[in-house]
Amino acid sequence: MKKNNQVRPVRQTILWGIVSLVAYLLVFLNQQTVTYYFTQGGFYALVVIITALAFSFIHGAFANYLLEAVGIRAIQKQKGGH
Amino acid sequence: MAPEKMRRWGLIALGTLALLSIPAIGEAAGEMVDTKSVVKQFIELNTFSVLFLFALGFLGGLISGFIGSGGAFVLTPGMMSLGVPAAIAVASNMCHKFPKAMVGAYKRYKYGQVDLKLGLIMATTAIIGVQIGIRIQKMIFARWGAAGSNLYVSLAFVTILTLLGVYMLYDAFRAMRAKAEDTASGLAEKVKKLWLPPMIKFGVANTKASLWVTVPLGLGTGMLAATIAVGGFIGVPGMIYVLGAPAIVASATELVIAFLMGLTGTITWALGGFVDIRMTLLILAGSLIGVQLGAVGTTYVKEYMIKFVMATIMIIVSVSRGVAIPTYLHQLGTIQLAESKIIILNNVSFIMMCAALATGGIIILGNMWKRKKEIQLEAEAKEQSVPLPS
Repeated sequence: MKKNNQVRPVRQTILWGIVSLVAYLLVFLNQQTVTYYFTQGGFYALVVIITALAFSFIHGAFANYLLEAVGIRAIQKQKGGH
Repeated sequence: MAPEKMRRWGLIALGTLALLSIPAIGEAAGEMVDTKSVVKQFIELNTFSVLFLFALGFLGGLISGFIGSGGAFVLTPGMMSLGVPAAIAVASNMCHKFPKAMVGAYKRYKYGQVDLKLGLIMATTAIIGVQIGIRIQKMIFARWGAAGSNLYVSLAFVTILTLLGVYMLYDAFRAMRAKAEDTASGLAEKVKKLWLPPMIKFGVANTKASLWVTVPLGLGTGMLAATIAVGGFIGVPGMIYVLGAPAIVASATELVIAFLMGLTGTITWALGGFVDIRMTLLILAGSLIGVQLGAVGTTYVKEYMIKFVMATIMIIVSVSRGVAIPTYLHQLGTIQLAESKIIILNNVSFIMMCAALATGGIIILGNMWKRKKEIQLEAEAKEQSVPLPS
């Protein structure tokens, strides 16, 4: 009998991990330029918010798959949502 | 939820967001700094500061995912301890708060724990409450200066958090002793019976309350958020003990409130160019993992554990804030303290705040580990009891 019939998304974890790492490298290898523009205020506020949202999606997806890959999933019956 | 109902709530959410995005309304949304502290200066990041921000982000995220709030009380002073000016620390913390809360809220929405209607009403009223709170703060600042303002904030902090924390801890122990999932609130039962139209029904929270109770609760949450910068420590107990929402729904709904308040606050700070996106992203690197781990954690434990963790953190944080009070009394000239003693007191206060976060993290992870082991043992026992086919 198979002990754990839930698939562990190792491939997605690696893929999103690479995407997240590249995104972080892009910011930190150009940190002076990034800091200069992101602290201009005004219109650049939109860029700040979009960046925060983009990282929450990219790194959030990686974190989600990472937890599932190490076997951490919700265990109670889900009531609703999608 | 029916598509029509979904559309209606979607429109309300969009309208609320548009309203809250007006910078004047969303001013600072929960955290403010005095004008002298508004310095725009960005630090060099080294290996220690990168790891420090990642670790604080992870722990703060874990706590937020589990109890709906927390992290800000350590993250802002944590960044300041790296030499970051107050305004940059508050802004960068605020900018990490809304994406983290969004991811946590989405995760917990999937588990059926979020009451969207309750979250939107509480967030809208809380943001108005923040404005009232900021005005009160400004009045205190004008009359008694920075030390007076700090003293007032610390006294509010210690009094409110100690009272709520001790009561919540007692309540969690009551449920623990009764071996129940959680306890019901007597006050909330009375509130439900209070027929003061318009009455609002909260489906997921499985409760109803008059608008005249819900709105003041949101306003109070916002006012205290502006005062003590941890709105969730008021919002969550308020939803549990006044509105009668289960702890698991209240903590999940708080993430919706944190998202909206964080977003409005970020818009304001980012318009002024105060967000250091590098620090925000480093905190997010840890907190996006932590918040999802905390959210999953709520499905592993009995509901009273949410109260237990929240109460424990509230009490430790309140003591740590109490430790800082003699410094403010010294600045006001009420007592005399040596400079070395002030430094020690400030360090002790910060270390205790970190300890609060770590204690919460240990309780959550420990309980998850314990439950996982139990499930494993149950599965093994079931496997052994199945007769082999002959």
